[in-house]
Amino acid sequence: MSEPTSLALAILALPLAAAVLAWLSAANATTKKLAHLPLILACAAAAVLAVILLGQMLDGHESRYTSEPLTWFAAGQLDVHFTITVDALATVMLGMITFIATFIALFSSGYMHGDRGYARFFAVMSFFVFSMCGLVLANNFLLLVAFWEGVGLCSYLLVGYYFEKPSAAAAARKAFLVTRLGDTGFLLGIFLLWKMGGGHTDLDLLFAHIRDHPPDPGLLTTACLLLFCGAVGKSAQFPLYVWLPDAMEGPTPVSALIHAATMVTAGVYLLARCAPLFVLCPEAQIVVAGVGGITALLAAFLALGQTDLKRILAYSTVSQLGYMFMALGTGGAISPAFAVGAAMFHLFTHAFFKALLFLSAGSVMHAMGNVIDITRFSGLRKVLPITHLTFLCGAAALAGVPLLSGFWSKDLILESLTEASESASPYSAGYFVLFLNACLTAGLTAFYTFRAYFLTFWGPEKIPAEAGDHAHESPRSMTIPLMVLAVGAVFVGGVVQPFTHWFSDFLGTSPSLTETQAPIARAVEHHLNWTLISISASLAIAGIVLAYVLYRDGQEKPLGGIDTLLALSRNKLYVDEVYYALIVRPAEVLAFLVRVFDGFLDGLTRLVAAMPRLLAALIRPLQNGLVQFYALAMALGLTVFVAFVIFRMAR
Amino acid sequence: MLFALSPTQETTGYVAVATLLAIAGVFLLLPRPRGRFVPGGIALLIAAAAVFGTWLYRTFGQPMPDVIGSALFWLFSAGAVVFGTVLVTQRNPARGALAFAFVILSTCGLFLLLAATFLMAATIIIYAGAIVVTFLFVLMLSPSHAPTDENDRSREPLAGALAGFAFVGLVLLALFQTSLTNQRDHLLAQLVTPLEREKLAAAIAQLDAAEKALAGDTSTAVAREQRLAAFDAAFSPVRNALAEVVGVSSAEQIHSPQEGSLPQRLGRLGTVSGGPEKLFRADVAARQTLTQAATVRELLHRVPPTVEAIISMPAAGQPVDVATAQAEVRKLRDAVVLLHGAGLMPARNVANLGYGLYAEHLLAIELAGVLLLVATIGAVAISHRKREPLPTPDAKNAPAGVEGVQ
Amino acid sequence: MTITLWHFLAVATVLFGLGWVGFLTRRNLITMFLCAEMMLQGVAINFVAFAFYHGNLQGQAFVLFLLAVAACEAGIALALFVSLYRRQRSLDSSDWQHLREPGIPVAVDEEPLPAAPDERFPTLPPAGVRPASALGPEEVARV
Repeated sequence: MSEPTSLALAILALPLAAAVLAWLSAANATTKKLAHLPLILACAAAAVLAVILLGQMLDGHESRYTSEPLTWFAAGQLDVHFTITVDALATVMLGMITFIATFIALFSSGYMHGDRGYARFFAVMSFFVFSMCGLVLANNFLLLVAFWEGVGLCSYLLVGYYFEKPSAAAAARKAFLVTRLGDTGFLLGIFLLWKMGGGHTDLDLLFAHIRDHPPDPGLLTTACLLLFCGAVGKSAQFPLYVWLPDAMEGPTPVSALIHAATMVTAGVYLLARCAPLFVLCPEAQIVVAGVGGITALLAAFLALGQTDLKRILAYSTVSQLGYMFMALGTGGAISPAFAVGAAMFHLFTHAFFKALLFLSAGSVMHAMGNVIDITRFSGLRKVLPITHLTFLCGAAALAGVPLLSGFWSKDLILESLTEASESASPYSAGYFVLFLNACLTAGLTAFYTFRAYFLTFWGPEKIPAEAGDHAHESPRSMTIPLMVLAVGAVFVGGVVQPFTHWFSDFLGTSPSLTETQAPIARAVEHHLNWTLISISASLAIAGIVLAYVLYRDGQEKPLGGIDTLLALSRNKLYVDEVYYALIVRPAEVLAFLVRVFDGFLDGLTRLVAAMPRLLAALIRPLQNGLVQFYALAMALGLTVFVAFVIFRMAR
Repeated sequence: MLFALSPTQETTGYVAVATLLAIAGVFLLLPRPRGRFVPGGIALLIAAAAVFGTWLYRTFGQPMPDVIGSALFWLFSAGAVVFGTVLVTQRNPARGALAFAFVILSTCGLFLLLAATFLMAATIIIYAGAIVVTFLFVLMLSPSHAPTDENDRSREPLAGALAGFAFVGLVLLALFQTSLTNQRDHLLAQLVTPLEREKLAAAIAQLDAAEKALAGDTSTAVAREQRLAAFDAAFSPVRNALAEVVGVSSAEQIHSPQEGSLPQRLGRLGTVSGGPEKLFRADVAARQTLTQAATVRELLHRVPPTVEAIISMPAAGQPVDVATAQAEVRKLRDAVVLLHGAGLMPARNVANLGYGLYAEHLLAIELAGVLLLVATIGAVAISHRKREPLPTPDAKNAPAGVEGVQ
Repeated sequence: MTITLWHFLAVATVLFGLGWVGFLTRRNLITMFLCAEMMLQGVAINFVAFAFYHGNLQGQAFVLFLLAVAACEAGIALALFVSLYRRQRSLDSSDWQHLREPGIPVAVDEEPLPAAPDERFPTLPPAGVRPASALGPEEVARV
């Protein structure tokens, strides 16, 4: 057994090596076909190492291991270290990332088979896994930013993977730019924290300094909200969620790994990491919870009317991320360990069932000849039996069907919200509203999930022309990951949390969650709250039943009163159009004005530039290319010079 | 001259006239399709040369103290200038090359006058080779007798002649100014001026006479008196002449060597060039000359009493040692001869040149050798005719396995 | 008063200036090269005269280096002439004007060259026959 930090560094190094190998494999047509091997092997090895690390952490003597600080760069007072930290939070994330990445890599090797950019795809995927692991392990804000941008870059490259397609290129650009808006706030927040935190950039030192020297609460709230800006961008929260549905232009495994399971949860992870700061400012916390609540409800509503299977899942992801932020936002009102535990638990289970749903959707796409519109096919139960079952598992888990993963995690979030509404927090009423909001969202979630399920798999069999006449189940390399993830989606939640509280207890050992206590936090016992369980179960089942009633024959039909509502949802509440009119249009007008002014400046510059050219035209004939003429000019010049010396200087 | 002019104005007038005449003459002579007037050009150039020679003669006097040297100088410099003009104005490049050969020969004559025997030989050898090669080139590359652009046209004849001769006139003016102001001191000071040299030569002749005067009958006291009187008669002009040059005339003044033309002129050199540790080579020579002058001074003071003592007071029972006295006089004569020759070229020109080159300029010699080697290789590389690549047969170009696959 | 140095320097200057004029005006590359060599000779006289004047051999050593440089120059220049002649079949230095500014016309010589001298070589009559013009009237009558 070796040091936990060494193990963590090994986990970090494996995907990086895989990225280099995959990149090198592009040199040759033969090796290019094997480009998936480095990623699969590296992820599998990293997953094994992560499990070993988990074991070490479980019976470890310390709750946190930090690597020796190496100076990354130093400038004046700024001394930035390359340090990584291993604690329960990071370990759980590492295990989840590497495990899911392994199966998604396996799935991709079948899904992307024969694609032109095979090696490019796997190189970027490997680099993404590297960056994500680095982001989880980083113990320094600037290092965190570096990896944060690394995952952003990979997301950009993979969303724009089919860069020949204009819509994909536009989506990649949109994802990058919208995320950039949040990142600006994130960086400003880091600068502010650096100023407040005694010049430290290492997370643990910074938090300790702020705990010991409490800064001005207003300033700290500002810093927290700025950090939250970064999380809003990266985790697609209101109002910056618009990039995530468009990001579905990328290949489906990318959507599963980056835009459902890992990268979009980076914002949640960031807030969990920075919990010691957030619990100190309840104002920031209620904003976090509020934004999460708005996002959850809005995205759930938008998912109702969509006909694109992947977009439904994307909106669902946005909605579930809002759920997590709601849980995080209760951190000051109740004990942060419980709140973060709830959020992280939902993150954990969500990663499984959402990756499963995306992969299943990918399997459907694969069989349907890349058609993803759920109105164009139906009744696929017979055609895709395995996919049907795995999709059902995922959908049930997402909808919160009792005893499945999603049920338990969602239940924990609802519990944290009720506890917060009963706490001494000044915003307890707001938390109660958020609780009602979460219940409504849970019902909507169950409805839209099963709407998609019924429209896809029930009713008469209808297969689009693009699929040809040989629509068939996907190959083994794709179905095995589906089945593994389905088992995970069904059982993982029930195994780790509700009866043993193992997950929360383990997470609770994270020093960042135990060291800092909010002054008004309400201690929460882990117990099965039967009232809540019955409420959420009934909501889920009500949603499913409603979907069954409406869509069991696999067709959309007019619904009278709520049709306008659905149309509104289908058009995404015209949010993109509103953004266009409010932000893009004025920017375009401004840009036009600037261009006119620039043209004026250009003209001025050209005028200035034309003068020397005019002067040059006068003396240009001197350059006639005759060597003797040049020598003559030299001789005359020398003569004049000598004459000057003799007649002037000698006197 | 007709008008009362300052030397500078006179020189400016001469040089300007000579320059203008030369410009006009060369302009007329330069090859052109139309407007070339050879007799007029030659006449103008002769006039220019006459004005130039007159100025040279009037301003700087005879170039050499002797008639033969003078005649040779005029001959060689006239040859160099005339054949140089022919090279510049000659239409036929082959004849131009021939004229250049004569320029080289004339230059070598001037080298000989300047005691550069080795350079004379080396220049003839090297340039003779180069000129022969150039002849070959001319014959090879200009076979036709028809008029050609390069031989029968000039590029900017007036402006070119103006630029060149204006430069020449300016440099001549500068030379004149330098000759006026910087004769005495500075590094360019002559070690022994011709005037001094004349005096020294006369002194040598007188010393020979004095030595001869000592020989003869010395058996009687009267005879010895006669000998001494003859010696004194021969020696006294020597004393005066040498005193003018090296500075001492009596015993009291031997330790204050501040008179005499040589010490006055050269004694300041050490201070001008910044002390003995920063001596230039010319200063070293000046120092040696001063040392030689000091030797002469010392001997001049010592020799007459010694000779008198030997002649007038012979040891008892011994004949007068005339040979010793003559040796004393000869010692002085030798010292004066050495001083007379100070600053003249050593006789062993080649040996000394080689010694100087290898002792002091070894690195430069090596670099020059490397330069020559590089130039040789470069010349070969430049003029090497690239061979056309041989056309490859098509069968070789085709991939080997194509037929088998088909 | 007799100062010999100035005479030599004056002659050297004139030689240098003549070479310069030739280099500036003549268009035959070989003549230009010879003129440049003549300039070098002027410089060499200068050096040797100063060496004589100073009473040492430094100037003569310089002239030796000058000879070495002149030899290099001759080698390279003649090699260049050969390769230039191969391209244009001409030794005219004005044939190479490619380094002029764009848009500047090529300098052309306007005045026509004088016609080639009409050199008629004598042609011999067929062997054994007396040329008709050389015959006197009585011999014509006899024939």
